[in-house]
Amino acid sequence: MTATAAAPKVGKPTGSKKDGKVMRFLRSPSFARILFPFAFLAVWWAVYYTIDSRIFPPPQQVLGFMWDEITLNSLLRYGSVRNNVYGMFAISLMRLGIGFVIAMLLGTIIGLAMGLSKAVDAFFHDWIMAILAMPALVWALFLGLALGFGHVGPIIAVALTGLPFVVINVREGVRNTPKDLFDMARSFQVPRKRVIQHVLLPSLAPFMFAAMRYGFAIGWKGLVITEVFASDEGAGWTIKFWYDAHRAHGVIGYALFFILFALLLERTIFERLERRTFKWRPKLSGIDVVESALDTDSQDEKDFLILERSRAKFEALDGDGSEKPRG
Amino acid sequence: MTTTVDQVPAGRTPTAEEQRLQKQRRRDRVSRIFWRIAGYVFVLGFWEYASGTILDERLLPGPSDIVRTFGEILTGGRLFSSFGATLTRLGVGFTLAFVIGAAIGLLTQIRWWEGFFKDSILISLTAPGLVWALTGIVIWGFEAQGWIFAIVLTTFGIVSVNVAAGVKALPKDLLDMAKAFKVKPFVRQREIVVPHLAPYLFTAIRFGFSLGWKVTVLTELFTATKGIGFEMRIATQLFRMDEFFTWVLSFFVFALFLEKVVLQYFERRFFRWRPEVTA
Repeated sequence: MTATAAAPKVGKPTGSKKDGKVMRFLRSPSFARILFPFAFLAVWWAVYYTIDSRIFPPPQQVLGFMWDEITLNSLLRYGSVRNNVYGMFAISLMRLGIGFVIAMLLGTIIGLAMGLSKAVDAFFHDWIMAILAMPALVWALFLGLALGFGHVGPIIAVALTGLPFVVINVREGVRNTPKDLFDMARSFQVPRKRVIQHVLLPSLAPFMFAAMRYGFAIGWKGLVITEVFASDEGAGWTIKFWYDAHRAHGVIGYALFFILFALLLERTIFERLERRTFKWRPKLSGIDVVESALDTDSQDEKDFLILERSRAKFEALDGDGSEKPRG
Repeated sequence: MTTTVDQVPAGRTPTAEEQRLQKQRRRDRVSRIFWRIAGYVFVLGFWEYASGTILDERLLPGPSDIVRTFGEILTGGRLFSSFGATLTRLGVGFTLAFVIGAAIGLLTQIRWWEGFFKDSILISLTAPGLVWALTGIVIWGFEAQGWIFAIVLTTFGIVSVNVAAGVKALPKDLLDMAKAFKVKPFVRQREIVVPHLAPYLFTAIRFGFSLGWKVTVLTELFTATKGIGFEMRIATQLFRMDEFFTWVLSFFVFALFLEKVVLQYFERRFFRWRPEVTA
């Protein structure tokens, strides 16, 4: 690594190393990362002044709207006092949580059975793949008609969209449990309960975690769509409310709320949880786990796992990328 | 992982162990097929039973009804015009998303740009497609920019991620050599980077496609007067659930066809010079 890093850089002035601290900061990727939101705002401004549209709002209007929503100064209370931005996101979060727990329970059971028995695997495989390929829109429209407005439809939608991710990951986890450890446990006559506790569960944990993470993200997307068609409250419904009212600043403001919410969920909760859960196992991050699972037979699953791997790799760029110069 | 005897070399009688293994494998295959069929029979049978008993027949038509309606729509000619409309949308939106996403992915070779675009890629991956669909519509109305905006923003992230993953695995020695011999940056990209990235680009197309497909239908739900999403909306509004499920079914059939037949055909052709990546 160091040898390649020291390779002479052709075409660059040798004096670039003497740059001051400011220049070095300006060239650092973290500065670029900070710069991005400002560049985004600048582009927004530019678009605002170039396109001829009466409804396209400037950034300050949207940010003002968001501020009003956060500080509960919104002109609209959506009917009642608790129906503000916090209330709506809380309702959605609750639905997401319940649906997700159902998906986890069902998915773990099915995934365990599929991992342990080839017959069960063949029985469920195609249908799990079908659910995986189903657009959330289909659930939304059908559940809206079947169950009407309320909590049940969105919860089922979350469970259904999250389920295949949990099943696939748990099944991969079972298939990847170290066989020799089981053999050893058997030859030393370790009771089954302890085998489950000390061998099966720890080796399943990273996969369960991956399942949680992606199931949650996908469930959230499914939930939002379902709330548009099959609910009269919740975050998804609120953005539809502003859309129906034809207030562009409301729609864009809520779009930004959604983005912030998703980033917050990923950044604070999942990253911290992951670090905490795998403290005892520093080398085995999600990347290696998914990588080791790549020798499955079906192309669909391979694709799915590559997706996870590439995403995990992408997220790891921050951490280990610094000592590898590229370009 | 498992030790299997692949093929017994010709001209040698298989040993008892090999015979046993072969028999075992055959039995496995037969039981797999059996259980697979059992799964189909169970799910379809339960569905047929549920329609009319658990849920109203008009709400959940059974598989036989859906197949019948599928035939009607197929012979009516509405199927192909709808698919044509949807495919045009997807083609336009996804091509643009792919170009933008691949360009950003290539830019991640430079660490500064990687930092710059990192958050945008994360946002594209995490934000629900609905958000972009509604934003696009509220800004541009029924004009094409609206749905193009939505498709591009939901799919470019996954393309970038895959290309960036390929960039991480670039053959460093080749690039260093090219630099040492003063190969021009553009030639370097064309001759080293892009061929190396080809399999990643294909993965990107596949994911982007399945994602873009869904968001395309979603945008059609709001703004189209033609296409699968539009037909789905009309079917639910008229409470024609048999038609609704028929469109869902045809959506599946078509997506499967595109992914398994068309894309794989191109993939095989594209990588003929490099058989190890298609394996």
